Amino acid sequence: MSNQHTTPRMLPLLVSGSLILAVTVLASLLLGAGEISPARAWAALWGYGSDEALFVLYELRGPRTLIGALVGVALGCAGALMQAVSRNPLAEPGLLGVSAGSSFAVALALVLGASISTLTVFVAQAGALVGCALVMTAARLNGLGHNPVRLILAGATLTSLLMALTSLLLMFDQRSADEIRFWVIGSVAGRDMSQAIQVLPFIGVALGLLAFIARPLAALALGESVARGLGEKPARIRLISVLVVALLVGSATAIAGPIAFLGLVVPYIARHFTGPDIRRTLWLSAVIGPILLIAADTCSRLLAAPAEMPLGVMTALLGAPVLIVMIRARRMPLL
Amino acid sequence: MGVMPVQRVQGRVQGKSRHKGVVGGMKTWAMLGVLALSSLGTSAAVAARTMETKFGEVSLPDGQPQRVVTLYEGALDAAIAMGITPLGAVASRGAEGVASYIQPQAEGVQIVGTSRETNLEAVIALQPDLILASSSLPEAQYQLLSSVAPTVVPDVPSFQADSWQQETRLFAQALNRTAQGEQVTNAVAERAAEVKAELVQRVPADQRDAYLMRWMPQGPLVMAPTIFSARILAEAGFDVHDGGLVKEGRPHSSPLSLENLTKADGHWMFLATLNDDGEQALEAAKKSPAFERLDVVQQDRVFPVNGQLWTSASGPLAAQAILQRIEQVMDSTKP
Repeated sequence: MSNQHTTPRMLPLLVSGSLILAVTVLASLLLGAGEISPARAWAALWGYGSDEALFVLYELRGPRTLIGALVGVALGCAGALMQAVSRNPLAEPGLLGVSAGSSFAVALALVLGASISTLTVFVAQAGALVGCALVMTAARLNGLGHNPVRLILAGATLTSLLMALTSLLLMFDQRSADEIRFWVIGSVAGRDMSQAIQVLPFIGVALGLLAFIARPLAALALGESVARGLGEKPARIRLISVLVVALLVGSATAIAGPIAFLGLVVPYIARHFTGPDIRRTLWLSAVIGPILLIAADTCSRLLAAPAEMPLGVMTALLGAPVLIVMIRARRMPLL
Repeated sequence: MGVMPVQRVQGRVQGKSRHKGVVGGMKTWAMLGVLALSSLGTSAAVAARTMETKFGEVSLPDGQPQRVVTLYEGALDAAIAMGITPLGAVASRGAEGVASYIQPQAEGVQIVGTSRETNLEAVIALQPDLILASSSLPEAQYQLLSSVAPTVVPDVPSFQADSWQQETRLFAQALNRTAQGEQVTNAVAERAAEVKAELVQRVPADQRDAYLMRWMPQGPLVMAPTIFSARILAEAGFDVHDGGLVKEGRPHSSPLSLENLTKADGHWMFLATLNDDGEQALEAAKKSPAFERLDVVQQDRVFPVNGQLWTSASGPLAAQAILQRIEQVMDSTKP
């Protein structure tokens, strides 16, 4: 956080963001669909209480909170980055088919005989890469780049196509149908912690690359010729961006499945505080992402107890109104 | 689309024949109708047999129905148990063909739809003289089907203790095999009594509590003690519970939070997935630490079962197959 782009105004934002994040994490640990009350969970947090309470806290709520944080960071940053590169406030991995590409790749690999435990992280990233490249190309097509809603339409079309293809795979192969369904529904409950650890380096690399391209991206926001004039290489920046988005979304999908709207809402909120400068939006998104995801996951446990609501439903409930507000706003902010 | 002409022709025949005594001049129309009917393969003989169904009295073909189509797994099971192989049947839930337990006896049975959706054209193409359907068939579907052939919809409420016996008796009546119907249901009762005698002798009364679960990627489901296979388990001497997790009138709970899995922890657990591979369900479940720490798992009292048979099928043959599996389970737990 100590880089030169962090102006003094960022510090209070990041500090208060981190405080809210801490509260959200605590709520996620203390609240659940089961019988372990907040008081018992609090005691278990300090190592007291029944085996049951300790298990629920350290084996169920703890891991899903951690995975939620990882996925939140990945999707929040991926959304901010996609919006900056496409200069479109509606760009989002879920809406633009990047997550769907990732799911489809996993489904395809499973049908072709891959085992669920080996290939998935890389396959999910490859799928995200293809989806991302497709949609970014679409974004640069004549006339599309400057019309945010049309880009969303292109993305929605790609998403429906990929989801239809995934359904088709489900029909062909009943045996892996159950395994694939796991990847079609976004959730952080009961997911494998070891896979989260497996994607950790990828998210780390992606965030490192992000720090590296934040400044050129800000230059690119001023227009292609200005960026060139400032000595940046727009084509290279775009290529790196696509890679970073694929790494982030692929990792998130590999551990939690597709989760829509988060990449839309997080930068939207972040921009509200920071203005359009990508250098600030990005870092605030990395804090707001986990806050929103963990909060949504906590709600999804409480609303349908003793069952749980799918996380994807929660984020859609959160995100759809924001999308509508943005589209209905008289002047869509062009980035 | 192919249904409409059929309906029209037959509607006319029924309408006219009702007034035949009064309007003799319409005889030619009736003749035409009879021709149309016979060309459809529907028995044109005066119906001597009638029976009460959910949608009123239905005239059945005289003698032995020759071309039977079953649109319900329980009807397929009952028909085969009474020595009648239907021409067409619906696929087992989530599968492409009939349930695997009945596959050997259902060679050559054509699939005419799923439990949710009937392919009317395929039904018409088989030129049935009797259609056996589930008690939950919607009236609109009934209207269409009954214009193809006499359609028997049992007027039996679901989830009752003797739902399947009542249904089997009604299907037996429709198939003109009432005696066989009694015979096969009695055979199940006898077999269940044998299994129960063994269980009662070996397992103390306070250790007979059992849970029937379906392990889904979204989370585990508890099946209701009112569903068919749970009724058979109860007849064989188990106390089937749902841990208070299943809502009244539902076949199973919503996907549970892993925090609530302990509510389904008893002395016995029968574990299925949607498809027929129970072993695979057990493998998937064992990856979950929340499942691994259940007492019933620690005691090695979890038994994988065929999900098609245990969570979708019904009827006398299904009952026998379930009882056979219960006997296997009993044998495998012999000290």
